[in-house]
Amino acid sequence: MYCVKCGVKLEDTEKICPLCETEVYHPIVKQEQVPPNYPPDKRPPAKKKTKIINGVVLFLIFIPLLTSLISDLQPDGAINWFGYVAGALTLAYIAFGLPMWFKRPNPAIFVPCFFAATVAYLKYIDFVTDGDWFLSFAFPAAMYFCLIISTLATLLFYLKRGKLYIWGGFVIALGFFFPLIELLLSLTFDLRFIGWSAYPFVVFGLLGGVLIYLAANRFARDAVQRRLFF
Amino acid sequence: MAKSKKNPLRWVRLDNAAKIYPAAMRKNWSNIYRQSMTLYEEIDTVVLKSALEVTVKRFPSIAARLRRGAFWFYLQQVEAAPEIQEEKSHPLCYMSEKEMSKYAFRVIAYRNRIAVEFFHSLTDGTGALIFLKNLVAEYLEQKHNISIPFEQGIIDRRVPPKSEELEDSFLKYAGRVPASRRDTNAWRVPGEKEPEGFIHVTCFKADVDSAIALAHKYGCTLTVFFSAVMMQALMNYQKELNPNTAKHKPIKLLIPINLRTLFKSETLRNFAMFTVPEIDARLGEYSFEEICKAVYHKMGYELTQKHMSAVIAKNVNDEKNILLRLVPLPLKNIVMKAVFDRSGERKSCLSMSNLGVVRLPEIMQKYVSRVDFILGVQATAPYNCGFLSYNGKVYINLTRNIRDAGLERHFFEILRDMGLEVTVESNRN
Repeated sequence: MYCVKCGVKLEDTEKICPLCETEVYHPIVKQEQVPPNYPPDKRPPAKKKTKIINGVVLFLIFIPLLTSLISDLQPDGAINWFGYVAGALTLAYIAFGLPMWFKRPNPAIFVPCFFAATVAYLKYIDFVTDGDWFLSFAFPAAMYFCLIISTLATLLFYLKRGKLYIWGGFVIALGFFFPLIELLLSLTFDLRFIGWSAYPFVVFGLLGGVLIYLAANRFARDAVQRRLFF
Repeated sequence: MAKSKKNPLRWVRLDNAAKIYPAAMRKNWSNIYRQSMTLYEEIDTVVLKSALEVTVKRFPSIAARLRRGAFWFYLQQVEAAPEIQEEKSHPLCYMSEKEMSKYAFRVIAYRNRIAVEFFHSLTDGTGALIFLKNLVAEYLEQKHNISIPFEQGIIDRRVPPKSEELEDSFLKYAGRVPASRRDTNAWRVPGEKEPEGFIHVTCFKADVDSAIALAHKYGCTLTVFFSAVMMQALMNYQKELNPNTAKHKPIKLLIPINLRTLFKSETLRNFAMFTVPEIDARLGEYSFEEICKAVYHKMGYELTQKHMSAVIAKNVNDEKNILLRLVPLPLKNIVMKAVFDRSGERKSCLSMSNLGVVRLPEIMQKYVSRVDFILGVQATAPYNCGFLSYNGKVYINLTRNIRDAGLERHFFEILRDMGLEVTVESNRN
């Protein structure tokens, strides 16, 4: 029998490929029932240390959460600012703690999750403060940022090459963020559109252009590397 | 080997190479290895016990227990054969000093297999193989009422041992000029350790003629060839884990050398030295041919009587140092363990031990289907590898005490790309 994943020829004693841990399987050929080389492994399943650490981290988060709640409730028995603390801690946990539960966390999933939580947090602040700025300002700004960061993380995660192109594209996309912010600010808060965003837009555009130029031109890249290496 | 008047059991000082192993022992680790023979029939443990009783008397320096003196450990012949043990889910379970004080070896029977696990202070691979051959020969003679001729390592088990078999050949062949021991540290394969000392054994089986043909294609021997494959696998694995070659550590293998091939010795105790071929990936990518050359020339340079007696001289000089000899054993153990940790294991990624071609008398071959050689993992490094060839097959046993089989995957991929068909089996089920 051969392993369907790594292609190694296996003895009939093998139920799992010793090299890649894939279950031995063939749709047509039936594996012969051969006694194993050694008696079965009767060890209890291994305790996952990472799970214990993650559990402890999760538990530790509850301590500031609880102390904040008690401090907030103490003067007048009402919740005033605890929501901000709880939301911020939840966001921090989603950003840093949640991916630790996974062996190889996929940014294509976790970055959008983080932004979804951020949007919810902003909506909560908007609701508590009667801000009326969520739909016209916070939501589109957060969505645009989510889009570019998610794209960057996903491309860096899946593609082994072309990192300069990816970063170049990201910096240019980041440049567009500033006119968008200025526009949303002027629409939401009735501020005058004075065009300050053109400066960062141009700077980021140029920086991104340089990165893409360096990505495309090996000689220029070598020259820059020669002068800036450390 | 001396016999005291009060106690008729023989005792023997540890040989030069054996002295370090008891000192280097630690919780959950001792330097042990296994040799096994698989028969075509189920093992009868009653007959095996009877055969073992005969064998232990013929090999008093191997069938021994480890004891503490005031200044050194020593070996004492055992009075009777140990009980035949049952197989566990993995070979080479931890052998404690308490266990060794009764028997520093184990005999294990499982289905068709007779396995013997030795503490390395007793003997080296060559001596162990002779013990195993004679145990199996005695078993077959008693079981099938046959007569096995005294050839290919089978000896007369009814006569007392010769003095040459019990000598410490290191002392005899130490040169006048000691060799230097300065060396760089090697790369350590990283990985998460298995709990409870579990050891994975992955056996690669290949046709020996195909392997030799491939080795000859690269102008080298089987030892050089498989060592080069292992070095290439280590290099590729290091690169996979860390693509920045500038930060790579040297790839080094510890290849034991049977000194009986260089010096005239019949000892059944430890008489092996080692050579450590090396490649440094920081210098650039190595082709397989370059690795073969590195191993071949290193072995060619060091495998001479002159060089080896210089290396032996260095070790023997240390042993003869009057200050070291006068230090009490517990203190000596601390110093020797520190030396072992600092300069012993760090100098190689793993051991690549070739026991060579195992030959048996023709009549025994009808009963023995395969032979295996399994090294225990190192104290702090997770891998080791033992191999031999028998009956047209080469059996390469890789042991590890970490979860990921990354090195095995790379090892297989190199053999596959070269066109050598290998079959893999393990102790996972």
